[in-house]
Amino acid sequence: MTDAPVILTHGLTKSFGDAQAVRGLNLSVGANRITAFLGQNGAGKSTTIKMLLGMVRPSCGEGTVLGKRITDAEENREMRRKVAYVAEDKPLYSYMTVEQTVRFASSFYPDWREAVAGRLLNEYKLPSQRKVKKLSKGMRTKLALLLAFARRPELLILDEPSEGLDPVGIEHLLQMLVAQAADGVTIFFSSHQIAEVERVADHICILDSGRLLLNASLDQLRQSYRRIDLVFASAAPDNEFRIAGVEKIQAKGHQMVLFAKSNAEAVVERARDLNAVSVEVAPVGLREIFLETVKEN
Amino acid sequence: MLWYKAWLETRARFLTSLATLTIFCAVFVGHAQGMIHPEWKADFNRLLFVSQQFIVIIWILAVVLLGMGGIVREKAIGSSSLTLSLPVSRARLVGIRVGVGLLEALTLAVVPWTTIFLVSSLARMPILITQVGFYILLLVGGGSTYFAMAVLVSSLVEGEYTSPAVAFGAVLLSAIIFDAWLRPYNLWRLVTGDFYIDRHTYLLSWPFPWRGTLASVSATALMLFASVKAIQRREF
Repeated sequence: MTDAPVILTHGLTKSFGDAQAVRGLNLSVGANRITAFLGQNGAGKSTTIKMLLGMVRPSCGEGTVLGKRITDAEENREMRRKVAYVAEDKPLYSYMTVEQTVRFASSFYPDWREAVAGRLLNEYKLPSQRKVKKLSKGMRTKLALLLAFARRPELLILDEPSEGLDPVGIEHLLQMLVAQAADGVTIFFSSHQIAEVERVADHICILDSGRLLLNASLDQLRQSYRRIDLVFASAAPDNEFRIAGVEKIQAKGHQMVLFAKSNAEAVVERARDLNAVSVEVAPVGLREIFLETVKEN
Repeated sequence: MLWYKAWLETRARFLTSLATLTIFCAVFVGHAQGMIHPEWKADFNRLLFVSQQFIVIIWILAVVLLGMGGIVREKAIGSSSLTLSLPVSRARLVGIRVGVGLLEALTLAVVPWTTIFLVSSLARMPILITQVGFYILLLVGGGSTYFAMAVLVSSLVEGEYTSPAVAFGAVLLSAIIFDAWLRPYNLWRLVTGDFYIDRHTYLLSWPFPWRGTLASVSATALMLFASVKAIQRREF
């Protein structure tokens, strides 16, 4: 595993009139990882991806993808040769057939794998001669994913890849992501499906209102985030727990629930010092981490 | 493959226009020459001149439609991300679309006039090939401006239907304005051959209007250049 970032941005900002979609984004995505890019609708995920691919110009700041400057048209074109991208709306040409679409896409990339494309066409049960406009939403999504998976890019960027897929399709997608990563492809994907993210991602970035709130490995998050349930003989002394690392305190009668992003041991020690009747420490799932991070912002 | 994509995008519009123009020319000239005696040569030439007026109308409608499309339209229908993620410069994307469009426009000028030439020859009312060449050069050289204008409009105006509406509006408005106040520079009269027709023989009189045609081609080049710049600057 190499530490050289595949995606690196510094102060990346995009404004649309008075509204700031992305604010001073300092993002670093390491190679050979599956990085999930999480955020609510309108958080700035798609705008960030579009800036990385040169579709939208940053208002200020800079960035590189695979060492190429995103704001330089020629460097960006060079970079796109090594990047596979599946956009949120799964764009395809409605007037082409499935076969024409595959042949069209294959002509641009030297890393195209004919055998993989043929295998995926069979697995996805895509009718070669059918026009794209006559495909169902799920089939269109599968065809868009096929165009990315049939390549062997250095970086795979996916914007909401599972949208429109049934559970079987989602399962296949997740397996493909893991297989691609095992093949040395760096994956950067946005999703609202936290359960799926938790299964495959090894690094998490959370964006909210255009700001990067969290950028850490999933293992690190699992180790540091804790939910601590405390019960006291008398009223819960919530003021005693306003210590570093504690994100949220909910006190009700004798009970208290704390959400700590670090320093859980200190909380437990303080609880014992205050003669807590019961102390329970539990790991926190990504869903809760995401909700708490976003809520806090 | 971008050529292939541009062809797939425009082939329905192109083939419909080509069929309309060719059938119109064959039927119109074939029907009319049956009513004319060989000694009425001037009347037949006049008929050809009238044919050119109709060809110009349909040709302009066709090239404006062929000029529509491109990445801005793709943005409106949601497929621009796929095109823009290809490792191809935006200038090349526009250039190939323009190249295919110009070839189709040229075909739309050559095929109908070749049909007229053949139908006339078969009916023993042959027309001079130089006159056919004159009409085609006027149509393509002068008329390419309408195509370029359509490309420019489609590079600036978003919306599947807004863009053609604006382009057709611009064609109509320019025809009215130039005919009312700037008649010597009226592109429509250049393209139809109205400035160069001999009213006795109804033959186009030489020399060929190179200056007017070059001015028109220059305007075409300028508008196409502006289209490339507009697409390069645009955000998707």
